[in-house]
Amino acid sequence: MASVEYVGARRTALWTPGRLRIAGAVALLALWEAAGLSGLFFRDLLPSTWRILQAMGDLLTSREFYTHVGVTVAEILIAFAIGTVLGTAAGLILGISRRTGDIFEPFIHYLAPTPKIVFLPILLVLFGVGMGSKIALGAISSFFPMALNIAAGVRQVSPVLLRVGRTFSLSRWQTIRMIYLPALVPPIASGLRIGLGVSIVGCLLSEYKLARAGLGFLAGQYGDQFAIAHMLAVLIFIFVLAVLGNAVIERLVRLPGPDTRRAK
Amino acid sequence: MANDAQGTTPVLRLQNVAKTFFTPHGDVRAVEPLSLDIRQGEFISVIGPSGCGKSTLMNIVGGLIEDYEGSVEVDGVQVRGCHKEIGMVFQEESTFPWRTAIDNVAFPLEAAGMGREERVAKARELLHLVGLDGFENRFPSELSGGMRQRIAIARTLAFRPRILLMDEPFAALDEQTRLLLGDKVVQIQQELNQTTMLITHNIAEAVQLSDRVLIMTFRPGRIKRVVEIDLPRPRSSKMMGGERFGHYVAAIWDDLREEASKGLQELERLRS
Repeated sequence: MASVEYVGARRTALWTPGRLRIAGAVALLALWEAAGLSGLFFRDLLPSTWRILQAMGDLLTSREFYTHVGVTVAEILIAFAIGTVLGTAAGLILGISRRTGDIFEPFIHYLAPTPKIVFLPILLVLFGVGMGSKIALGAISSFFPMALNIAAGVRQVSPVLLRVGRTFSLSRWQTIRMIYLPALVPPIASGLRIGLGVSIVGCLLSEYKLARAGLGFLAGQYGDQFAIAHMLAVLIFIFVLAVLGNAVIERLVRLPGPDTRRAK
Repeated sequence: MANDAQGTTPVLRLQNVAKTFFTPHGDVRAVEPLSLDIRQGEFISVIGPSGCGKSTLMNIVGGLIEDYEGSVEVDGVQVRGCHKEIGMVFQEESTFPWRTAIDNVAFPLEAAGMGREERVAKARELLHLVGLDGFENRFPSELSGGMRQRIAIARTLAFRPRILLMDEPFAALDEQTRLLLGDKVVQIQQELNQTTMLITHNIAEAVQLSDRVLIMTFRPGRIKRVVEIDLPRPRSSKMMGGERFGHYVAAIWDDLREEASKGLQELERLRS
């Protein structure tokens, strides 16, 4: 044969990461199904995928479910928005003012990994059993990753770009808008991604603890009734919501650059 | 004021400008009192060994250092802090990577509140001036280092500064690019009659571009000698082979050599 054959390249082409991922998911499902059928576990503990699908069908056709979805989605969106705005502002202040950063950043660093759910009793008293306390917890959760990511990102901004801004007599606000924020798109994007995740966790967890509505509340109720298939269906629904949220962030937060332009 | 520009009032006047840095390890006198007048359209180079305070001087004139002794005057008016009459170009990579070439150049105009159409038209003119027609919509990462530095120069010129300050703008470039960019800068400078102050440690570059070369001493920085470069204009890098060009380079090196070796000794002393 005259032409060069890339045997190795051909072989890897069969197992692309995407196909491997699908194969992994299929294998996991098969394992789940096999474990359920084996009779080694209590029957209702590992409901078959079919029963989970049925449960999903129940949920999607009940009107009540959408009320819960609406409550949770509203909580998450409001919490995420509040946490992001406050976190961005705090991160900018901590990053730009070295002194403020030196004083306050350690507190934020040590508070960040604390499970925020410990604040729930206080938040319940302050904001009530309804959406208020859930929003507060979700906002607190997403505040930290945003603030820390931005504070660290600010220190990575090239000093010469800031000097350029000074020579053009930029105001403080212009410096933030025209230099810091565009320069900070990568840390903002990762802060948003992590922030969305933890605000979802924060809202759901507090719903699960004490609430009258919401997907976390619903999952908790199904769990208490040992309706495992329905509980899992709710969790899968939440998972899909989170994936969608991430996809939206990824589409929206992008730095202008040669790659995105060519894609157009 | 501008009417005086051709006459007696210098565009830029430094009077007894001096700077001491107070550090935990003691005070460092970076610049000794230094006075200098620069005429409209003049191209001045400041040359000196590393650590002679030439960048400090540049940052004082550009307004990035605000606490110094003496005074800086533009058209007879004292200035302190960054000033729109004084534009700076830096040695480091300074284009905004998230902006296209044209939006980089339009940056100061945008900051000044100029409308989109007007500032884009102005930026287009400036890109033409620096020879980057057709690259308007490219991002810096798609361009060479020399092209990026030309964008930075165009961006600084967009403000129409009375004085253009350049801090070793070619230092990060390879030798050939540096020579060609030098030709471009001198051509633009002549075209705009742009008063320019260049900081450099490259002797040939200083001779190629300047009307006057200021040789600075090693720390603390003083003006050791001022060399008038009496070469015909228009200048270009082609002159480098000429006899008079070589003569100027040799004369400047004569003065600089002593300072440079002082600097080197000091550096070795600190290392040991």
